[in-house]
Amino acid sequence: MRKGIVAGLAYAGAALTLLIAACVPFVLIGTFTNLVAHAGLHVDTAYTGGSVARTIERKGYEIVIYQPVRPRALQRIETFQQIVFKPAAALPVQVSEEIDLDGDGKPDVKVIFAVPADPRTPLRGDVVALSGKYQSLKNASGESFSRLMVRVNDEVVVRVPLNEVPGTR
Amino acid sequence: MASRSFTVAAPPAFRSVGRSLLLTLPMALWSLLMFTPTFQHGGRNLRIAAALVIVFMTGLFYLMMRSGETYRWRRIFFVAVGFLFPVGFIAALIAERGTMSIPIERMVAGQTPYCFMVTPTILLPAAFTRTVVFPGSILPTASNPHSIAVMIGVWFAMTLVLGKAWCSYACFFGGIEEGFAAAPKRPKAWRLVRRLGPTLRLAPWAILIFVVAASAAIFEPVYCMWLCPFKAVTEYPAVHSAQTAIQMVIFISLFVGLVIVLPFLTKKRTQCAFFCPFGAFQSLFNKVNLFEIRFDRNKCVDCTLCQTACPTVALSAESIREGKTLLNCMKCGACVDSCKKNAAVWHLKGTEVAVKPERARLLFLYGAWAMATMFGGSILAGSMAAMLHWLPGM
Repeated sequence: MRKGIVAGLAYAGAALTLLIAACVPFVLIGTFTNLVAHAGLHVDTAYTGGSVARTIERKGYEIVIYQPVRPRALQRIETFQQIVFKPAAALPVQVSEEIDLDGDGKPDVKVIFAVPADPRTPLRGDVVALSGKYQSLKNASGESFSRLMVRVNDEVVVRVPLNEVPGTR
Repeated sequence: MASRSFTVAAPPAFRSVGRSLLLTLPMALWSLLMFTPTFQHGGRNLRIAAALVIVFMTGLFYLMMRSGETYRWRRIFFVAVGFLFPVGFIAALIAERGTMSIPIERMVAGQTPYCFMVTPTILLPAAFTRTVVFPGSILPTASNPHSIAVMIGVWFAMTLVLGKAWCSYACFFGGIEEGFAAAPKRPKAWRLVRRLGPTLRLAPWAILIFVVAASAAIFEPVYCMWLCPFKAVTEYPAVHSAQTAIQMVIFISLFVGLVIVLPFLTKKRTQCAFFCPFGAFQSLFNKVNLFEIRFDRNKCVDCTLCQTACPTVALSAESIREGKTLLNCMKCGACVDSCKKNAAVWHLKGTEVAVKPERARLLFLYGAWAMATMFGGSILAGSMAAMLHWLPGM
């Protein structure tokens, strides 16, 4: 009797598995995708650049300044701060901007780069540190997630490493 | 005096043609259903490829029904996916960016397609900090439809049906080594597998623990960045420094060693059996999946043919004596097909062993093949469409 009930449950389970299989492409993939999408997850700031601190408007383009991103645990990145120039198409051929990154009213870095006419041409440029808080970058391109000057779609993304000793912030 | 015939009779078919066709009908309809959107919205090459895939998948299922064998026909599908997936993937990369390497700006833009193999390594950071340590995007975008949420959704939904059988019906990498393992007639290094197999089969668990812990500690997808052999045939970080050059050497060495050379020498899926941390992680779902392989001890003569046939070393003498497989069994059916005494059988947990094994096999195969057609079939169609595109006049 007990064996029969267990076997019946097993076959009910097998039928349920087949039902799930039939629902996978029509319902379940979408359901689980939505669950993951609404789980409050976010991609690590080492990749995304963190959250926006403020935006500086220029003629035809804007400079978006992000909050500093600091390494977590044993993460192999330096503390950096991201600057985004957008849209890249509206930038002058030669960009040379003194930017206040920490919001104290004094410029912290000077970002210098030429915008290639062909968007596929690798971007290279310099960052000159104007305060001791930041590091300079010479002929920067896509070296690492914390030392970066690249064109991403219609934006120019610059990441400037900070002179920050871990654990002292 | 009776005349002696030298003709060898073909083994009797497992099922009649009519009954096999009848059992195949639901899968034929499912295949049509899966590719209906392709026929409605796809280009000409994709429609041709989809039609070929429907015939291919339905034909293989028919042969499974007719012959009673699972492994041989599943392997044809699986090897086709394994070899064609990189073709389609690389073709798409070359068409889009002209190289297989992924530049850092694409990672910054969240345009790295998510691969299910990363899943175990993102779990701890996601659970404790809600942070996904992968340079993709959570939601699908025009430039990255294979987003983190979509691919985890696909993987989890399919895992509910397949469990560890993901590794033999859905993984688009396993077919490469299964293809190389199928090439030689006899294993050239069988003694090595016999001697080291029992120890090495624990290695994926050790690697799983290592990559999960290391990824949580350094907030990087460690397996993806350093250890994935399949980077060699998909995409890899652009080589611009000593570190990326070392990564590239590791990827190629692991691919050549574990996916080509060792499977060829041992006739085993060595990467899956002795290395893959995702496979170890997926083994955990065997505990909740209803289908398994069991051994009828009344029929088993301990000939070890099943052990020899198992491509992932998921059988041991002790486990066979207990009438079970090990946790890493991926339900490919090799042991069942190789057993001359019909002692290895498909089994539905909760029912009596070897009482209605074919019913258990059918119930399992309908679910597994439905997933294979949906996922692997779409990969096959995409890759075949890319190949058709290269043909003159297409």
